[in-house]
Formats: sequence, structure tokens, C-alpha cells
Amino acid sequence: MHETTDFRDKMAISRAIADYRRGRISRRTMLKTLAAAGVALSAGPMRGPRAWAAPARQELTADQQPEEINAWLTDVGGQFSGASIKVVSEETPPSRAIINLKAALFEELTGITVNWEVVPLDQVLAKVSQDAATRAGANDIYYFDQAWVGRFINDTFDPRELLETKPDLAMPDYNIDDFLEPLVLHIATYGDKMIGFPCDVPIFMYFYRQDIYDEMGLEPATTMEEYLSNAQAINEAMSADGTYGTVGQMKSGHYSLETDMTAYVWSHGGSVFTADGICSLNDEWAVTGVDYMRELQQYMPAAVTTYDWGGQFTAIQQGQGGQVITWGEDFPGWDDPANSQVSGLMQPAPLPANTAQRPPEEAGFEEVPDLGHQGGSTYCLSAYSKQADPAWIFLQWATSSNTQTLASVIGGGASPMRQSTFDDPRVKAEEEVGAGTTRHFPQMLEVINTRMGTEPHLPQWPLIATDIIAVELGKLTTGGYGSTQEGMDTIKRLVDEAAAS
Amino acid sequence: MTNADRVAALEGRADSYPAREQLQARGGRRLLSSDRAWVWLLPVVLLLLAIGIYPFLYNIWNSFREFNPMTGRIEPVGLENWQRLVSEIVEPAGRVRGALWTTAVYVVSALAVEFALGLGIAVLLNSGVWLAGLWQALLILPMVVPPTVAAVMFKVLENPDYGAFSYYLQQIGIADKVEPLLGGTGKYALQAVLIPDIWQWTPFFVLILLAGLKAIPSEPLEASQVDGASAWQTFWHVTLPMLRPMIAVAVLFRLVDLLKVFDYIFVLTSGGPGTRTEVISFYAYQRSFTTIEWGYGSVLGLLIFVLALVVANLFVRVFKVAW
Amino acid sequence: MSMSVPALAAPTHPPRQQRAIDWGRVVRTLVAAATAGLFILPILWWALASVKPTQEILSVPPKLFGFEPTLNWYRVVLGNADPTQFNVEATGSVGRGSGGGTFFSIPYLRDSAIVGVGSTVLVLALALPAAYAMSRFALRWRKDLAFWILTQRMMPPVVAAFPLFFLFQQLRWIDAYHGLILVHAAMNVPLAVLLLMSFFDEVPRDLDDAAMVDGATRFGAFRNSLSLVRGGIVATAVLAFIFSWNEFLLSLVLTTGVVRTVPVASSTFTTAFATEWGYLAALGIASMVPIFIFILVVQRHLVRGLTLGAVK
Repeated sequence: MHETTDFRDKMAISRAIADYRRGRISRRTMLKTLAAAGVALSAGPMRGPRAWAAPARQELTADQQPEEINAWLTDVGGQFSGASIKVVSEETPPSRAIINLKAALFEELTGITVNWEVVPLDQVLAKVSQDAATRAGANDIYYFDQAWVGRFINDTFDPRELLETKPDLAMPDYNIDDFLEPLVLHIATYGDKMIGFPCDVPIFMYFYRQDIYDEMGLEPATTMEEYLSNAQAINEAMSADGTYGTVGQMKSGHYSLETDMTAYVWSHGGSVFTADGICSLNDEWAVTGVDYMRELQQYMPAAVTTYDWGGQFTAIQQGQGGQVITWGEDFPGWDDPANSQVSGLMQPAPLPANTAQRPPEEAGFEEVPDLGHQGGSTYCLSAYSKQADPAWIFLQWATSSNTQTLASVIGGGASPMRQSTFDDPRVKAEEEVGAGTTRHFPQMLEVINTRMGTEPHLPQWPLIATDIIAVELGKLTTGGYGSTQEGMDTIKRLVDEAAAS
Repeated sequence: MTNADRVAALEGRADSYPAREQLQARGGRRLLSSDRAWVWLLPVVLLLLAIGIYPFLYNIWNSFREFNPMTGRIEPVGLENWQRLVSEIVEPAGRVRGALWTTAVYVVSALAVEFALGLGIAVLLNSGVWLAGLWQALLILPMVVPPTVAAVMFKVLENPDYGAFSYYLQQIGIADKVEPLLGGTGKYALQAVLIPDIWQWTPFFVLILLAGLKAIPSEPLEASQVDGASAWQTFWHVTLPMLRPMIAVAVLFRLVDLLKVFDYIFVLTSGGPGTRTEVISFYAYQRSFTTIEWGYGSVLGLLIFVLALVVANLFVRVFKVAW
Repeated sequence: MSMSVPALAAPTHPPRQQRAIDWGRVVRTLVAAATAGLFILPILWWALASVKPTQEILSVPPKLFGFEPTLNWYRVVLGNADPTQFNVEATGSVGRGSGGGTFFSIPYLRDSAIVGVGSTVLVLALALPAAYAMSRFALRWRKDLAFWILTQRMMPPVVAAFPLFFLFQQLRWIDAYHGLILVHAAMNVPLAVLLLMSFFDEVPRDLDDAAMVDGATRFGAFRNSLSLVRGGIVATAVLAFIFSWNEFLLSLVLTTGVVRTVPVASSTFTTAFATEWGYLAALGIASMVPIFIFILVVQRHLVRGLTLGAVK
């Protein structure tokens, strides 16, 4: 049998990667093999684990905060010394970062105690809904996923008004215009009401395995077709060894499946609603998008039908995917050499162009169709808070430029909300392979500004997204419907019923 | 051996009882020295009423209200939630109808396997094996893992690509990567959620039934053997009937708890694919916590309550539980 | 089959054979060991995970040897060490410079232990007299009462949680140990009463009568019969403790993080993006060890049932 050198190299590479993933050889040995086979790893400078010596907890001191902010916290915040405020949120990178920052940089200076309760996402929704519906004021600061923004517009203070009506409590140089406009518009605003400050923006980006692309001679896709054919090529070459073309978050009955679907529907010219508020998930564009997703599914591991975002994250981390379009906040975890098999191997690339695109004016409920699906969230001041003043001071501090910069630098993947954070030299300094990398930020900023897709935000949306679409689509992607059209017809009917009620 | 014999055997111990006078001197216990049953029962009844009655009444009241996403308030809706329940049971494609069927399959499978395995293991451990205490202590451990955590464990173990359990199943040729336990078209989704349930709750039967076996007096067993009965006959005609009360309690409680189980389904399949593993308690959980339809959640909660009531009642009658 | 037949018949003490090796017993022991081993495998895997670096945790086939064991997960979970001081072990979602605060689990273990022990003691204190009375006194409505007690376990926590939350809010019992203890006790009392009742039923009533004829009070008779249902008490206690230890939903809704039990804390170890396997495993194993020792200590009472007690 005739073997070309090229083919032998490829075999050696894929074997080395497979061995590495199974833990049979060290990362160093694998990289050596790859280098021998001529794979150039231009993944950016690698730093040894010791090099990114962390600013340890005890080193977090007030001198990491501008003098005038410290003074404001002491003087203005100090008036409320002894107060105790309550926050409830999901466990997200920025939330955890702020929890870790607040003791040294806020509580010590103001004397205000912040009780921050972290619970899983659906528990947040349940707790916040109870609090708002009964106006109990049990929590002073709410954490809202963007999907709920339409539901809670009457339950929070508009921060723009607070900045005006409470000038004596306003943080110096807070600069509300520093927040990226798309985030304010689509995560924190519904109708005319701004419900709070954006605090987090996981957003769909395109990541690929540089080693695999180089080995197979693939280029980052610029169109959806190329993206699909790349997935197919990788899957055919490597799936037997456990690396699939791509991975998805397609857990039936879970919100994550809906987020994947909308991205592909949007990138093929569809939308969830038309401008007159009628569900259009069964029109030809939407069906094309869903068909595209189902085609991609063939190049994913079989387990994707039980993967939510966490499952997908782990799969990529385990080296199971050659490429993926998903949350940018996953990236630092993949780059983390201690936990990831693919540290330094994943690369961000610009999102492929949409095959077709529906302008936002033709979609309903403030939906914006585009591939860069965002899943942002906000911190908001509860309208029922019994300690609105100290809570407002905390809210400003938590969302201020310096705090968000620190959160981006120390947290594993907390993403900036503000232009000044993207530009901050402390953030730029972390653009290297490692657990807290920020090397995907430039691409992320690009997606936020030019490719961001946003779900419709009617008040019934949580029900529609997490139940109707997630369940019926789950049926469809596991062969429960005769055809895509049939499944999407059902979804359209159920969505329209729910939207009308 | 009769009870009279046993009493006779015990006569010798009577002097070890504290004298009546002595006890009465400890005033606090005087009440408990009476034969008035309510004194003995009242604390339990009060606790159960205090914690139990309010949620029950609240849910009845709440079932006539619903959270309105448009206003963000809870508003009275009359019989709407109950009508919805009826329609979701009556319609062939109704969610509740499907969920009830899935629940039946889930509960019966889990109960049958857990009981059979649990009884077998309990009998084995009671058959004079060495280190029985150690095996028993080890066997109880799965119960100590919180179900939410156990579900996360099995999510990894059952993963076709990096799960140890799936790996070994693949090695012996039982499972493959195309139609795995978790994923694919979800052909084995129900099995996937039943495995952690069985792993965790078989020990429940082991614990109760073993304690029950230990409590059976040895005399009837010996008598039966003297009479020449075979091991199976002794087990069937002596051991099992004497174990009956413990079996009844264990099965009843597991039955009631199974009707409320949702952790494994929540973590492993979210009720999917589609609604294939959607049991009624998971559906109720979704209404109350994910889609924020509290009123309807209350209705489903009451449905589960009534269901448990009916099933338990049937069980008590059919198996002539002697309370 | 042939090996299991003697197993079924054998009473607590199989009739002693000659000095020859009891092969049946050897085989039964091996089967018991194998069964226990099978059930314990996932926990062994979990224990291994708790001393492995993350990369090794998900490797297949699972490695028993050949990895560098680490105690770092335990140092953070039990010792409040700063994860970043281990550098390499700092996980993605923890990031650099952040504390081990959320993973430091001694407070969670403490809260779980207080609630678990408290509710178990309360359950036994209430259920034992009740079960005894139901077994001994001629109650016309014994059957109805027993069934009513059973019904108190039927309301799913999914819908009981919110009303209890409102109730506790009024009573200012949110984040209170006694609140959780009462709720967990109410959850476990039905099982305890009915289970203990079955055990009391096995004790011949004549024993009490004989005792009382001899001058014991009703309470004395009750106290004496306790030693005869020791097995049942231990089984009940173990179950009540385990059910309280594992309870998730009520503990979540009725607290706001000031009090936080192990299952609630564990649920936050699965973050929006990743699961902290190492910390989860370390906490799981750490919380299992004391319970395992407890079961080992008390299980000898399970072995001595009525028979021994009665003919001592």
C-alpha cells in the first residue's frame, strides 16, 4: 500500500492528539510530535503556569482602585455604614469576580455589608419573580437574564433617572455612556425603560482548533457553507478518534438548545417573530436554518442531545470538537492549561457571513436577527428595595469601569461591558494563553458592535424559549417529527398561542 | 414457642425495671406514664399539622390564581388552571397525560428493581456472611450522596465519550457511541435516568429489610427447619410473611417518594428528548420554577398528592397492610 | 441458585458445622463483597476524582494509577486555601486572584450537620412515643391515623417550598436552623412513626404487660421495649439523617445563603459554564466519611435484633 509522507504525517498528528487526550502522552510530547510533523503553532506566546503568578486574595487592596473612588466610597458610602443589602444572582464569571472583589474594595471602605446569594439560573428566576410579584423587597439587587427583560420592566429603578435624581449619591466619573451601546440597548432596555446596567455578555463567537485546521489545511470559514464543510471534513477524518467536526448545546428541553437554533435561523434569514408579532419559525428561512443545524448535528458527538452549555464546554475542553460557534465566555476555560486539553489550541475567528439576514425592523419584540447570539444579563436596583440608597451605591461600584476591569482581569472569563475596559492596559496585558486570557476580546468587541443577535423580549418569552421551543425542538432533533417543516409548524402554532395569552 | 414462653423467659428481668414510685418522682414523665394515647401522639400530630397544613391550603387557594407575565402580578383566574389540567389529561397529546404514563413506567420499573435487588441483598447479608457489617455500611453509602450530586456524577459516568461507566459498557459490547445511554435519539433516556435512581435507592430497601430480618425471632425459622421445610419454603412461608410490615412501609414510602422524584431527570435529560422522560413531578417543577406558572404548578402538586393518596390507598388494600 | 438456597434459610446464626471450611459461607461472602463493590464503584471513582488534577478526572479508561495525586481540592474545600496559590490547579471559572471563599465548605458541612442531627433527634423524640402508642394502645382509628401520617409525606416539595417560604418570612425563620430542622423533621416523622410502629408490633405485647404487672409504669415498659427495637431505631435514625442531609429544594428556598447546606452549596459548584468536578468530588467524599463512620459504629445494633435482646 502506497503511503504519502503527507498522509503519514497526518496519521502521526492525529494519533498524537488522540494519545494526548487520553492522557497517554504529555502535552509537551504532543506538541513536539506536532512540531516534527510541521504544524506551526501560532497560538500566541505560551506562558508557563508559574509565570502568571496571580494577585492573591490578600493582595487585593484599595490601592487597586482610584483614589477618588475610595474617597467617594468612604464619604458617601460611609453614611450607610452598618447597612446590609442583598443580591441574588447566577454563578457567572463576573458575579464571582465581584463577590471576590467586594470585601476589600467595597465593604471595608463603606461599612455596608453585601450578602450575595448565588443559585442556579432557574432558581434566580423563581426567587426574583416571587420577590417582585409580592413586592416583598427581600432582595435589593436583582440579576436578570436578557430573556426576562420584558417581564420585569416595572420592577426596577431606571438607572438613568437615579443618576439624575440622586446627584449626591452619584459616583464620580461613572460615565454611563462608556457602556457599549448595543449592550445597553438590547440587554438592559425594553421599550423606553432601562432596567439596570449590563453586567455580563456571553456572545456567540467562532472558535476553531488551530492544530486541526493546520493539519488538514482548512481555512477559517467565511460563509456558513464553508463552516459546514469544515465540520464535515474534520468529522470524517477524526471522529473515529473521538474528535468530532463540531459540538453543540442541543439538550432537549433546555434553553441552550433554543439559543443554538435562533443563531442558525437568524443566519439564514429567519426570525422568531415578524414585525406584527406573528411567529415565523416555520417559514422557509427558519426551516433552512434549522435544517442547517440538523446537518451540523451529524458532525457532532451523539451525546449533544443531552449537552447544555456546560456539557458543550466540557466536550470542547476535552478536545471533542474541531470548531464551534458558541459563547465567548467559554474561551478562557478552554485556554486554561490546568483543566483543558486544548489550551492554546483554540483560536477565535470572525463569524462567518450570514447566508441571508432579516433586518430588525421586520422582526418583532425588539428581536435582532444575526449570528452573534447574545445571552447577556443585568444588575438592577429593585423597585421594592427597602435600602435603595446603599444598594444604589453598590450597584454603581459593581458596574463601574475600574471594577469591571478588575473583574475581567482576575475572573475566569468575565467579559467587559465598557469601551474603557476593552481599552484598559491591564486587560490588554492578559492577551496571552492561560486561564484568565483576554486574547479573544478584540474579536468579541467586533461581534458586539457588528454581529450581535438578540432574542425577542416579550414578557412571555421565558416560557416560549425554555419550554415550548426547547421541548418541541428537542423532539425534532432526536427524530420525533417526520420532517423539519412538521416540527416547526407545531412550534409556530404553540408559540403563537403562548404569545396571544 | 409461644409468647407466653417468651414472657416466662423474661420474668427474671422484671427486677431490672425501675420501681413505679421512683419513676413517678420524675414528674415530667408522669404524663407519659398514662395510657392516654393522645399524650403520646400529640407532638407528632402537631408538628405535621404545623408544617403540613399551610402548604396544603395555600396550594388549593393558589390553584385558582396565576402569575401574569404581562403585569408581573399574581391574579385570580377562577377555574382556568383546573380546566387546563383536565384538557391536558383528556387530549391524546396532552403533556399531563404523557407525563402520567411516563411516571407509571418510571415508578414501576424503579420500584420493582429496587425492591427485588434490595430484598435479595438484605437476605444475603443476613445469611451469616463474614464482615456483614462492613458490606452493609458500604451499601448504604450511595444513599448519602445528595440526589442532585449523584445525577451530576452519572451525567459524567454515562457520557459516551468520556464517561467511565459507558466506557466499560462499550468494552463489553452492551453500548455504543451511536445510540448511547445519554444522547443520540434518546432511545435509552429512561434507562439513563433510572440507573442513578436504582443505584441510590436499592440501599433504602437493604437498610429497612435487613433491620426487619434481624428483628424476626429465630424460633419460627428453626421450627420450620425442624419440620423439614426447604429453604425456599421457610423463606416463602415464614420469613416473608413476618417481614411483611417492613416491606409495606419501605414500598409505600419509596412509592410516595418516587412520585416526587425529579433530580435525575432535571440534570440528565430535562425530560427529553421531547417529553419522553418527563415525569409528572418534573413537569410540576418546570411549571413552578422555569416557566413561572405557579398556579398551574400548584394544581400539578395537588395532582401528585392525590395520585400518591390513591396509589398508596390501593397498595394498603391490595396487600392488606395490617396497620 | 444452589448456593443461595442455604442463604435464604440460614437464620442469624447458621448451625455450626464441623471444623471443615464452610464453603457456602465463603461463596456468600464473596457475593456480598462483589455486590457491595459494584455499588461502591461510582463512589470510588468519585474518590479518585477528588485527588486528581482536572485533566485526569474525565479521562477514559479511568486511571487508577499513573497520575499525580493532589490534595489541593481538599485544601480549598476543607482548609480554605486560596486556589490560586496552587496556580496550576486554579480552575477556569475561578480564575486568578479570586479566593476559595465559595468552595470553602466547612460552614456548609457544619450547617448540614446541625440540621441533620437536630432533625434526627427531634424525629426520634417525637416518633418513638407515637409509634409505641400506636402499637400498644387499642386505638380504633389506628389504621386511619397511620394512613394520615403517611399522607404527610405526599405533598411534593416543589409546591410546598413557596408557601413555607411565605410562612417562614412572616415568622422570620428564613436562614434559621430551627426552621429547617422543623421542616426536615416533619418530612421524616411519617417514615419514622410507621417504621418504628412495625418494629414495636414485632415485640410481643405481653412483655409490656408482664413488666407492668411487676411494677413498671407505662413509661418504664416503653423504655424497656426500646432496647428490643434497637435495630429499627438505628435504621430509622440513619434514614432520617440521610434524608435531611440530602434534601435540596426546601433547604434552597428557605435560606438565602446565610445558612447553606451541602446539597445547596454543591448545586452552585456547577456554574453557568463548567462543573467544578474537583471541588464537588472533594466535598462529596469529605461529607461521606463521617457518615460512613457513623453507620459503621451504629450498624452493630442492627445486627442484634429482638432475638438476642429477648433471650439475653
